[in-house]
Amino acid sequence: MSQLKYLVILLSLLVALVLMILPLPDWVQIYRPNWIALTLIYWSMALPKRVGLWYAFFTGIILDTSLGTLLGQHTLPLIIVIYINLNFYQRIRVLALAQQSIYVFALLLIDQVVVAWVEGILGRPTPVLAFLGAPFIGMLIWPWVFVVLRDIRRKALMR
Amino acid sequence: MKTIIEVRGATLQALFLIGLCIAMMFVDHRFQHLEIVRANISLAISPLRYMVSLPATGGNWLGDWFTSHTELLKENEALKAEGRILNARLQKLEILAEENARLRNLLGSSRKIADDVIVAELLSVDQNPYSQLIEINKGSSDGVEIGHAVIDDFGIMGQVIHVNPQSATIILISDPEHAIPVQFIRSGTRSVAFGRGSTRQLELRYLPATADIMIDDELVTSGLGGRFPPDYPVARVTAISEDKVRGFVSVLAEPKARLDSSREVLVIKPRQ
Repeated sequence: MSQLKYLVILLSLLVALVLMILPLPDWVQIYRPNWIALTLIYWSMALPKRVGLWYAFFTGIILDTSLGTLLGQHTLPLIIVIYINLNFYQRIRVLALAQQSIYVFALLLIDQVVVAWVEGILGRPTPVLAFLGAPFIGMLIWPWVFVVLRDIRRKALMR
Repeated sequence: MKTIIEVRGATLQALFLIGLCIAMMFVDHRFQHLEIVRANISLAISPLRYMVSLPATGGNWLGDWFTSHTELLKENEALKAEGRILNARLQKLEILAEENARLRNLLGSSRKIADDVIVAELLSVDQNPYSQLIEINKGSSDGVEIGHAVIDDFGIMGQVIHVNPQSATIILISDPEHAIPVQFIRSGTRSVAFGRGSTRQLELRYLPATADIMIDDELVTSGLGGRFPPDYPVARVTAISEDKVRGFVSVLAEPKARLDSSREVLVIKPRQ
């Protein structure tokens, strides 16, 4: 049974990765929500004992490899976000989905800001307003991600 | 409920992993040690990459399947006409190439006329709108190496910076970290074109105020530095601004290659 649970978690992360590297037109690109972060936030909220920092680390490394960015550039913010989430999940889990969304927006924004810091240190111009788009879309999508993953999780546990 | 020890453990773990990430970024930025890690992970997820590119491939296939007969006829007609025109041009070109080779022989200089190419397709694009990295579906197993130049039908796109067995990362000429040695076709002036983080602009800084530059001048690779093969189109001058006080001119140019929309690219293998 727990084998199946791991499989479900890994599959959902795989789908998130596909959504992250799916080629999109340039103008949509900047609004692409961080699917990996959304999925990891959900799992670390639902199963905090299982899905934690190491998941964030390995998923992040794979994400960095597939995007061709510096190894660690997307990993670092994921770890920070999941760490924050591990400290707050008990308070957030009981909130309504709309309220959770605002919390998720904050987490995604932190993620974006850390990525931007790294870019800045590398001497690349750091975007300002364009960076708000993706977390905002992520916030709108969160309730849907939450419900879908919750249903999947419940089904997997029932079997 | 969480005990204090548990919380402290998570914090320590987080600090450790954050430190690890920072160290990795530093090593990855400065040295080549992590290329193996990158190559192996990339190999492991290559089926996923293939899967991601399936909808596009499938779409093309379906599009081909459902193209109507008349459309095909029309297209065939147009292609034939184009073929004729190209052939006519090619005849001229062949004569010119021969003449060129003869003249070069006379001058005693040897220069490669043609280069080997590898055809590749775009896999993914880095999300950050300001960084200009793309992934292609050919890697070291196809002969791609770090430093190879990448072009599309219109001009230079960039160069290879990471190679994995089945894929490679390309830095575009418009990346702020990238610079490419160029030459003006009309005047022969040499310069270096820097990326500015926008796919529609390159910048040439600190040209002498006396340089002979006009709007619409074409820029080609100069071949200096040995990374890019010479004489490939790079950009077209769109704006010239003079700094009267310091006596410099800086020039903005628009890349010829369609950096943001090309899906098929060619990797140029220099001939040994």
